Amino acid sequence: MRDLLLGLAFMLLGAVVITVASQYPTMASLQYGPSLFPSLIGGGFLIGGFVLSAIQLPALKSQLSSKDDSIRMFDFRPILLSLLPCALIIFYIFASEFLGAALCLGIIMLVLMLVKRTSLILALCVSVIASLVIYFIFSRYLLIPLPEGLLNFWG
Amino acid sequence: MEAFLLGLQLVFNVETMLVILAAAIFGVFVGAVPGLTATMAVALLVPITFYMDPTPAIAAIVTTSAMAIFAGDIPATYLNIPGTPSSAAYVGDSNLLAHKGRARETLGINLICSVFGGLFGTVILVFVSPSLAEVALQFSSFEYFWLALLGLSCSIFIAIGSRVKAFLSLMIGLLLSTVGLDMMSGAPRFTFGIPDLMGGINFIPVMIGMFALNELMLFYGSSNEKRKLPYLSKDSVFKQAPRHVKAYWRNMIRGSSIGTLIGALPGAGADIAAWISYAVGKSRSKEKQAYGTGHIEGIVDASSANNSGISGAWVPALVFGIPGDSITAIVIGVLYMKGMNPGPTIFMDGTGLIYALFIVFFLANLIMLPIGFAAIRSAKVFILTPRKILMPIILCFCIIGAFSINNSITDVWIMLLIGFIASILVRCDFPMAPAILGLVLGTTLENSFMSSMLKSNGDLLSFFSRPISAGLGALVILLWFSPLLTMAYRKIKNNQADKAPRNS
Repeated sequence: MRDLLLGLAFMLLGAVVITVASQYPTMASLQYGPSLFPSLIGGGFLIGGFVLSAIQLPALKSQLSSKDDSIRMFDFRPILLSLLPCALIIFYIFASEFLGAALCLGIIMLVLMLVKRTSLILALCVSVIASLVIYFIFSRYLLIPLPEGLLNFWG
Repeated sequence: MEAFLLGLQLVFNVETMLVILAAAIFGVFVGAVPGLTATMAVALLVPITFYMDPTPAIAAIVTTSAMAIFAGDIPATYLNIPGTPSSAAYVGDSNLLAHKGRARETLGINLICSVFGGLFGTVILVFVSPSLAEVALQFSSFEYFWLALLGLSCSIFIAIGSRVKAFLSLMIGLLLSTVGLDMMSGAPRFTFGIPDLMGGINFIPVMIGMFALNELMLFYGSSNEKRKLPYLSKDSVFKQAPRHVKAYWRNMIRGSSIGTLIGALPGAGADIAAWISYAVGKSRSKEKQAYGTGHIEGIVDASSANNSGISGAWVPALVFGIPGDSITAIVIGVLYMKGMNPGPTIFMDGTGLIYALFIVFFLANLIMLPIGFAAIRSAKVFILTPRKILMPIILCFCIIGAFSINNSITDVWIMLLIGFIASILVRCDFPMAPAILGLVLGTTLENSFMSSMLKSNGDLLSFFSRPISAGLGALVILLWFSPLLTMAYRKIKNNQADKAPRNS
């Protein structure tokens, strides 16, 4: 079922890529314009997605014809937990300008450690030390302009 | 000779030697902690190497990858969990030997085979690359088009699992490579009005997303695993090694040769080299039945192959700019950043950088012996390091590392999106190596096609007008039709086998 849906998603992506590519300008002096490769790639998505879906169809038919009415309980907790790093990256993107990189990194580490049931004192110590070490290595030694945020405000 | 002396000067200085030492320790750590791969380590290293001179930057990558591949054997032996995918082929044998109280002996022979394999691959790299480069000097855009296509095709045919999924993974990489201004017309493609995308997608955030963020998401989505070390051997690391080397020296040479060859094929990394070498070793062994039951011979075969594969992957990367595996895909980007454009002209450079690179390879493999010995003796520290403490720190490195390439938050968004998509695809058994190759080789493929078309006024047959180009083209077409040819051959063979009993 997963592969069937993915196959359909790839076919949709292929159609979108071809449509977008068809709008690129063509030049009279060039036989092959900027749309050639994206169109070929879009075609590849369409064909690959179709084959991926088609391979799954017999298995899906047999699943539908079987009389197994049992409803599977789906556990969303692992999926939500796996999305936590993504959510924390989005938090960094939006909050780092105001809070500063060091504080944001500390919060991210603390949350992730507490989620995995690390003791609060250990999580706090590691978060504070690691965030300051990372911040100073990148901003002072490698001269990356990381946002200072509240650190700047405190002087 | 002058270039060689310059190369020696570039390597034997305090900065480079310290970087090699630090990278060796980092490599051991990453390899020995299950869930952290050599590719992930190299992807995380790139933002730091960005600020180094070319020689220490390359030294850091070479040493980290070589050490990580060996160190992956430590948790494989003690916990039956390969530290990196390259140790998966012989994890069963290693762990069974550890159960017999021979863990250090197993790791000792692993270490010797890794050093031997790495040095073997380096010798091949040193002697074969310059000769190949002389041939490559004759290449034009026609040959580079076929080479890029050959590399991309190999990545599909060599991938473990579904070829359709490998093909779609490749298409994703190729699509990412088209983002930015078109080389010929200057038209922006898939930039969605974002100025940071005009120059194309930087592949470092993509790498960090694919290999580091993806692993982090898998870790937080999995149940909490508590690792306990069931036993800790106190046997000698090297006492039995001479006996094993004497018995299995042929396996070491064969494994290293297979590893170098497989490593040089685009898309096939150290893990595939180890699996193939293990299978070949088993098929040729006098003790086939002993494989998988805790037998040193299989470990010798595969352990030599995975480290030689690392060196082998550098041959096409240096000579043609075509990566042999995911690590060399990252390396090609680093080489460009450092002004060492991969390709045959890299060997004509008089600054000694190429000699420095060769010397670094030898040093990286030699330093493996003392650092690896220390790592075996202190295995407990590495494999019991809690991942719940490590993973949050790695996520912070990912964010800052992606940002630091262009000092742009767009790269953090790219890392996030790619990591999210990669985690879905990996869960559905899509291989990631074709996507990386697509991203790295996509521009070469398109640019060489467009240049060739300009030269030949759009005549597609011109791709077969030069002898090397025609040969490479024929090879690509043969590769594409190889599944059909194999199927036809099997059918004919089966038909003959069916007829034979009837006739008798």
